[in-house]
Amino acid sequence: MRSVEFHVLLALASEERHGYAILQEVAALTGGEVRLEPGTLYRALHRMLKDGWVAESARRPAADLDDERRRYYRLTPAGRRVAAAEAARLQRLVAVARANRLLSRA
Amino acid sequence: MRDRRLAWWLVRLYPPRFRRDVGLALVDALEDQMGARRASGASSLGARLPAIADTVGNAFAAWIDSAGSGAAKPPRPKGRTVLDKLLQDVRYALRLWRRRPGFALVAIATLALGIGANTAMFTIVHAVLLRPLPYDHADRLASVWGRTPTYPRGLLSYREYRELRNKPGTFEAVGLYFPQSVNLTGADEPQRLVGSFVTGSFFDTLGLNAERGRLFTEAESAPGTVKPIVVITHQTWQRRFNGDDGAIGTTLTLNGTPVTIVGVMAPPFDPRVVPDAGYFIGADLFLPAALFPAPRGLEAAGPVMLGIARLAPAVAIARANADLDVIRRRLLADDPQPQADRTLVAEAAQETVAGASRPALLLLFAAVGVVLLIACVNVSQLLLARAVDREREIALRAALGASRATVARQLTVEAALLAFASAAAGLLVGRGALASLAWLRPPSTVPIPVDMPLNAAVLLFSGGVAVLVSLLCALVPALRTARPNLARVLQAGFRRASAGGRRTRDVFMVVEMALSVALVAVSALLIESLLAVQRAPLGFDPSNVLTLEFRLPPTKYPKPDDIARFFRAAIERVRAVPGVESAALVRAVPFSNNGGTIGYAIEGRPSVDAASLPQARLHLVTPDYFRTMRIQLLRGRDFTDRDDLQSPLVAVINETFARREFPGQDPIGRRLTTPQTPTPITIVGIVSDAKHYQPTEPAAPQLYAAHYQVPLIFCSLVARTRGPAMSVANDVRKAIWSVDRDQPVWGVLALEDIVARRQGQWRFLALLLGIFAGVALLLAGVGIYGVTAYGVAQQTHEIGIRLALGASGERVLREVVGRGARLTLAGAAVGGVAAIALARLASAMLVGVRPTDPAALAAAVLTLTAVSLAACYIPARRASRVDPVVALAEE
Repeated sequence: MRSVEFHVLLALASEERHGYAILQEVAALTGGEVRLEPGTLYRALHRMLKDGWVAESARRPAADLDDERRRYYRLTPAGRRVAAAEAARLQRLVAVARANRLLSRA
Repeated sequence: MRDRRLAWWLVRLYPPRFRRDVGLALVDALEDQMGARRASGASSLGARLPAIADTVGNAFAAWIDSAGSGAAKPPRPKGRTVLDKLLQDVRYALRLWRRRPGFALVAIATLALGIGANTAMFTIVHAVLLRPLPYDHADRLASVWGRTPTYPRGLLSYREYRELRNKPGTFEAVGLYFPQSVNLTGADEPQRLVGSFVTGSFFDTLGLNAERGRLFTEAESAPGTVKPIVVITHQTWQRRFNGDDGAIGTTLTLNGTPVTIVGVMAPPFDPRVVPDAGYFIGADLFLPAALFPAPRGLEAAGPVMLGIARLAPAVAIARANADLDVIRRRLLADDPQPQADRTLVAEAAQETVAGASRPALLLLFAAVGVVLLIACVNVSQLLLARAVDREREIALRAALGASRATVARQLTVEAALLAFASAAAGLLVGRGALASLAWLRPPSTVPIPVDMPLNAAVLLFSGGVAVLVSLLCALVPALRTARPNLARVLQAGFRRASAGGRRTRDVFMVVEMALSVALVAVSALLIESLLAVQRAPLGFDPSNVLTLEFRLPPTKYPKPDDIARFFRAAIERVRAVPGVESAALVRAVPFSNNGGTIGYAIEGRPSVDAASLPQARLHLVTPDYFRTMRIQLLRGRDFTDRDDLQSPLVAVINETFARREFPGQDPIGRRLTTPQTPTPITIVGIVSDAKHYQPTEPAAPQLYAAHYQVPLIFCSLVARTRGPAMSVANDVRKAIWSVDRDQPVWGVLALEDIVARRQGQWRFLALLLGIFAGVALLLAGVGIYGVTAYGVAQQTHEIGIRLALGASGERVLREVVGRGARLTLAGAAVGGVAAIALARLASAMLVGVRPTDPAALAAAVLTLTAVSLAACYIPARRASRVDPVVALAEE
């Protein structure tokens, strides 16, 4: 999995978001380290839509928060599993890194 | 709002499906992003540029994504970037090579051979013909010649030079130079150096500078000022003075006169990397033109020097020539006599240096081009055969969802790898070829620099050729395979021999045969020329003859008597050397490129004016010259020691002279007058004709005069030896030094070698073209074999059926060979036309044979037919022995 895709999945893990919100969430989650551009985001989104990891959301947020022209995206169960698997893989890698003293214990 | 318009426009770059799915959302996000950037203080450009860069790149990637997923919507290969895919293609191609190492090796070796030969030839062509001469403003340098009908590149007089200098609008600078041997004495052994007598302006014209000390000025070199100074070259400085600064101011004894070294000339270029040792400055030292040894001074000497000029900016050669004609007319008006048929002409300096090399180089370049084409056809053939084999694989991949782009990319990567590998191998082959060319003793018309560093032009050429060639080789197969007819290819029992493939292969075969016919025919023409050159009777026997040259310093031998005395003594001592049979002196040894002519009139015939006198080649020889050279004395007598300065002038003429001037009469006792001699000359003998400049020259009237009666400071010795000529070289040299220990001698060579060098151009070209033709034939043979064998292999099934139905093996064999023969016929026909075109390039080098010589063409066609039939026969035989049971069971 590419890091763009994982970041998007993470951003969508907590709640449904529209495209620009995903960009902001990814930036927030990574402490501003990863700043995606819309073109990159949507290419990844398009792929994940086709693969069935994310889907367009039918539900809308409360009216006062909604921007009606927006499209919202959510994780599908498949997407959640893929993200979990990737997280587990990374965790194992982190464990290995720790065991080899590449990382100090948090 | 404008941001939104831009966003819309950007989204249009994406594939339709993408736009349908998320296009609108992307427009929103883009607009938001640009808005946010503006809000945080970015300029309009700063807000938009990242968006544009980001979407353009991703749109491209999205197209590739969508191309990767065809109608069948295969699972997308996860986590692959474009680079990953390319790397994967490279790995795949390498794996294919490993699986079929023979194929890769043959393809790369074939192309490397072609590319290498072309690299080597291009290196030479670039160094000699294309690269500007290594001087500033080289494109404006021009030689200036005094042209007469007999000498198109004749010399200039000092008077003409002064006129040229008065034309600053045409000539920015003009210089005179004339290289001549000078004797250096006062060292351990007397030495001959090459001196160039130059005007001060010569240095300015070529933009030469002093490295130490100074160069001399125009005033210091002008006639009348006798300043005994000399400028030495960097090499002379290193060799004689070990690069010591104390050299400046020291004195050298040159031609018996002490001269002071005033400076060392900085080398304008590295002499090892230019093919011609010199380019106008091929000398050891430079002396003022005023010191030129002309009896009555430079002003009165007439045309004795070479001219070099730098044209003013934007003056074309044609305009320079028009101005030169004006100058000539003015000079003619002043003094009509010596200018009668002289014209002054300018010629681009590059042409002076390289003009003679062009025909040979272009011919060789064309020949290696043909070899490369044949190599291309072969490799293309190989790739095509393999591509057809791979049709199934590729069709399968296409059926599983690989797009045409993917397949084409894979094939392109394979071709690019092939290009890279063969370019690298080709460069190596080229370097090796250059080294071996130098070893083959190329003639001066194919000058090969000692040292040829790889330069950008050569690298660019080889790389370009490799890319072009690989594209050419890979294009046909790629076009065919990238568009496989899935249904047909995947059909059970698909027989891959399609009519289209066969046609392509036939065309390949005909092209290959035509190209090799052309090359074989031209090499046959050159071999015929070489034979004609070698067969041409020389008129003398060059075996076991030692030659050497010397020049007597006029200060030491001021009177003809002194010169004659030295000559007699030297000859006597040389004759006494053990191993020397006979010896004689001659002004210019045959094939040494030296020589001269004389105008004559037969006494008793109506007189004509001096300008229209008939000309004969003049040779000055001592007694015994004819015996030493084995030139036959037909009538009368040889010169004797009594033909000296006191006795009446005598001459020996050759057969052609006798036939031309005295048909049916006895020339012995007849007398000639010449403008150069005060009294008439009596003919005392007739000898057989002897060649002097070229083995192929037509017979010319020759006049031999007695050297003792016309002593000249420049002289050569010829000595017939009992054993190999060079074995007595040292003793002969010492014999001359025993007469005058200050007398340098040079050009100590076996006459055989001098003659062989003259035949060198034909030998070299015939050898090289022979090699190229051999390689072409070999490649063509392999190609024809491959095509035929491949065709047979594909038809195994069909042949099996026919054999099972009762066709005889012999008939199958006849058909396969017959098909090859028909193609050979077509190839020979096309090749004949190509041969005539190629032979036209060679026409300047042909001797005794016309470019359309039927024998050469016939030889080429026959050779090709033999090769091609042999190449067809082997697979045909295999076809005729197909076992029907096995062939049909293959299903």
